[in-house]
Amino acid sequence: MATIQRVLPRQQNKEKRSDYRAAIKKTLRKPQFWFGLMVLGPTLIWYFLFLLLPMIRSAWMSVVAYQIMDASASQFVGLGNFQKLIENPLFAIAMRNTLTWAGMTFLLMLPSSLFVSTALSRVRVGRNLYQSIIFVPVVMSLVAIALLFRMLMDPQTGQFNQILDALGLPESKWISDESSALPVMVAIQVWKSLGTYVVILTAGLLNIPHELFEAATVDGANDRQMFWRMTLPLLGHTLTMITVMMFIDGVQAFTLPSVLTAGGPGTATFMGNMLIYQEAFSNLRFGTATAGAILQLILILFITRVLMKAITPKWSY
Amino acid sequence: MDIASSRPLVKNVFPVRTVLSQGSIHILLLFLAIIAVLPLFWSIFASFKSYKELVTSRDFFPHVWTLGNYDEIINKNGFGIALINSIIVSSVVTLSTIATSSAVGYVFGRYSFPGRDKLFMVLLSTMMLPFAVVLVPLYVMIVGLGLTNELGGVIIVALWSTFGMFMMRQFMQSIPSELLDAARIDGAGELRIFAGIVLPLSTAPMAALSVFTFLGSWDNFLWPLIVLSSQEKQTLPILLNGLKSLYWTRYEMWTAGSMMTVIPVMILYVFASKYFIRGVAMTGMKA
Repeated sequence: MATIQRVLPRQQNKEKRSDYRAAIKKTLRKPQFWFGLMVLGPTLIWYFLFLLLPMIRSAWMSVVAYQIMDASASQFVGLGNFQKLIENPLFAIAMRNTLTWAGMTFLLMLPSSLFVSTALSRVRVGRNLYQSIIFVPVVMSLVAIALLFRMLMDPQTGQFNQILDALGLPESKWISDESSALPVMVAIQVWKSLGTYVVILTAGLLNIPHELFEAATVDGANDRQMFWRMTLPLLGHTLTMITVMMFIDGVQAFTLPSVLTAGGPGTATFMGNMLIYQEAFSNLRFGTATAGAILQLILILFITRVLMKAITPKWSY
Repeated sequence: MDIASSRPLVKNVFPVRTVLSQGSIHILLLFLAIIAVLPLFWSIFASFKSYKELVTSRDFFPHVWTLGNYDEIINKNGFGIALINSIIVSSVVTLSTIATSSAVGYVFGRYSFPGRDKLFMVLLSTMMLPFAVVLVPLYVMIVGLGLTNELGGVIIVALWSTFGMFMMRQFMQSIPSELLDAARIDGAGELRIFAGIVLPLSTAPMAALSVFTFLGSWDNFLWPLIVLSSQEKQTLPILLNGLKSLYWTRYEMWTAGSMMTVIPVMILYVFASKYFIRGVAMTGMKA
């Protein structure tokens, strides 16, 4: 009895091991395994090298005094880079501008895109044609658009002031004035990317079964009631997503402010990403630059969380 | 998602009211359409004006047509080379993204292996990552690889696309497994199944993804601005941005350079607008 008891578990172990071995052998024989490995292997290597590793190094760079000539000699400085960054007077300015910019873009973009996509979803002839024309600014290069508007808004020779003159209206300084530069830039951004959100929202609106609206009409609901009580809640997930998209894009604004105004006049349109860029590539302070980037990541995660929590569950079906 | 075939939302009973409201919608949309394309058409014509005419005349069409602006930016400022650079970068990035996205999308969408969904969520979560976070370490790495001021330095960071993988996976999940199993029973190899069955079925999302990727790569600004320092290596947006300081208020150069940057994509858009719009509408699927 005793010998049997001792032998049995060993045999089981052996059996288990050979089971594993058989399973591995079986897997190795499968052509799917080799194809999957061929695809996922390089993918994971690329993600490791170009996303994961930079992320880790970014976290490390933000807490050391980075030595460009000899990175391994960098000394740990704790939150010193964050402190230096926050003490930089440009930080508060960039923070305020970025949040104002993201908020203003959102406040103008969401109602306009909802309005336009409602019109598009109701039009019976030429919907695709209208949509593809309204989408044209999305396809135009942002650098070209920035230069173009810079030219049109030239206070002396620009077409915009010439038009205002012709209409007998007072001239504007557009982006050359500290108080109007940011709102004007918001307007350009809305003009440029309205098409994106219109396309997404129109697709969402057309997905709502129209029988619902017919039923509501029979029940005597008017247009406004249908919009607030049916259309908006039924669009819930799409709206949440594009709100998040608008804020994430807004917080990362770089191309438009740097080409259109270079952050000026003064610091009126100086944004967070421009501060990161300036710290890294003009001042060669990699530590404070990555600290800024990490603060941006935290801000984005925070905004996303708050938005998801605040707007999804209560009014969406 | 075919928008044209969808029916209108509200069926109006009274034809008179329909005509009236449809009429006002058309006026509104027409107005918006004009605002959307007017700057483009204005600058197309402006690029054929001389500097003097550009800043003094309010007329839409040039009085005297000139190709001088294009001649100067191509021959003196290297916009011809920049055009070729842009085409190289965008084409390679697009081809690579299509290949990697469809292969990875297929594996995640149609294969089953332990930890598949967890791994995919990890990869997907990198979409939330702002580019600024990886910017500096990536630059240090590109310097280490000796790829600064090389088109390769721009291309290498864009070989895979998380959004593309996500989009292709969503689509591949709708390909019936029976079809693939039938091919396996008939003795087809995995590569053959992928290239001969899966890819031909996926041409529509691939077309949408490719124009979407091409556009993104064409307009990319921040990363090429850092990597490409010398003029003969720069892509169009970077060289165009340089005109700002090179030609302070020489607006005829600006318009010609802008049009060199915008028109190639516009030509693509005229022929494939359906796919551009479908690609964007698909970003709505993320919800």
